[in-house]
Amino acid sequence: MTEKLSEERLEKIRRLITNPRPGSKVAAALEFGIDLTLTLGQLRKTPQERLESQQSAMRGLEELARAGAEMRKRNNGRV
Amino acid sequence: MVEFEPAIKAITTNEVDFVIVGGVAISVHSTGYITRDLDFCYRRTTENLKKIVAAFAPFNPRLRGFPEDLPFVWDERTLQNGTNFTLVTTIGDIDMLGEVAGVGDYEAVRRESVSTSLYNCEVRVLTLDGLINAKRAAGRTKDLLVLPELEALKELLTETDEE
Repeated sequence: MTEKLSEERLEKIRRLITNPRPGSKVAAALEFGIDLTLTLGQLRKTPQERLESQQSAMRGLEELARAGAEMRKRNNGRV
Repeated sequence: MVEFEPAIKAITTNEVDFVIVGGVAISVHSTGYITRDLDFCYRRTTENLKKIVAAFAPFNPRLRGFPEDLPFVWDERTLQNGTNFTLVTTIGDIDMLGEVAGVGDYEAVRRESVSTSLYNCEVRVLTLDGLINAKRAAGRTKDLLVLPELEALKELLTETDEE
């Protein structure tokens, strides 16, 4: 599914996430530590909006990496 | 980091036969997975290789991880001499795959893909089933870590399918 979903379907998905069926893949993912509410948030978007979120996250990570490098330099490599 | 819009527009305006796979396909399917590059599987015909060369030539592609002064010619002949290419370009990292483990060659990947629209371009992306099979086949820790979310997403979409 790469299209934006209807509100009705999103609500069904939300219920499956908040009340996972024992033994389901949803239950397994939650047990594994995956935050499926983030997945639900992505499902509310169009494919392009999902990719734009990805691009924004990548820019954020690059900024964090830059800040980390600057921090190590400022502290003479101490971590 | 790769700039998605110019990369996707370059491939589609040059009418390259390709399917988006890897992290970008995962992201388009709605997971929170973050990737730094654009992976796509491509048809290995002479005509398609020419289109790929034209598409990325403006972005000065070079082999990733090699010295900058190492001679590298971005042309159809270079592409004929390999199958998978990990490139660094002026718009970021781009990986070209002649086949995808767990799915198969380009024709198999094309069959296991769906169409969508990105930046006003019609593109094809690997299905959730295809991604799950590819990640299982790759088998590295980083691939296996994404499987629970992909499998949960598949289940959520299957169980709420309105058709």
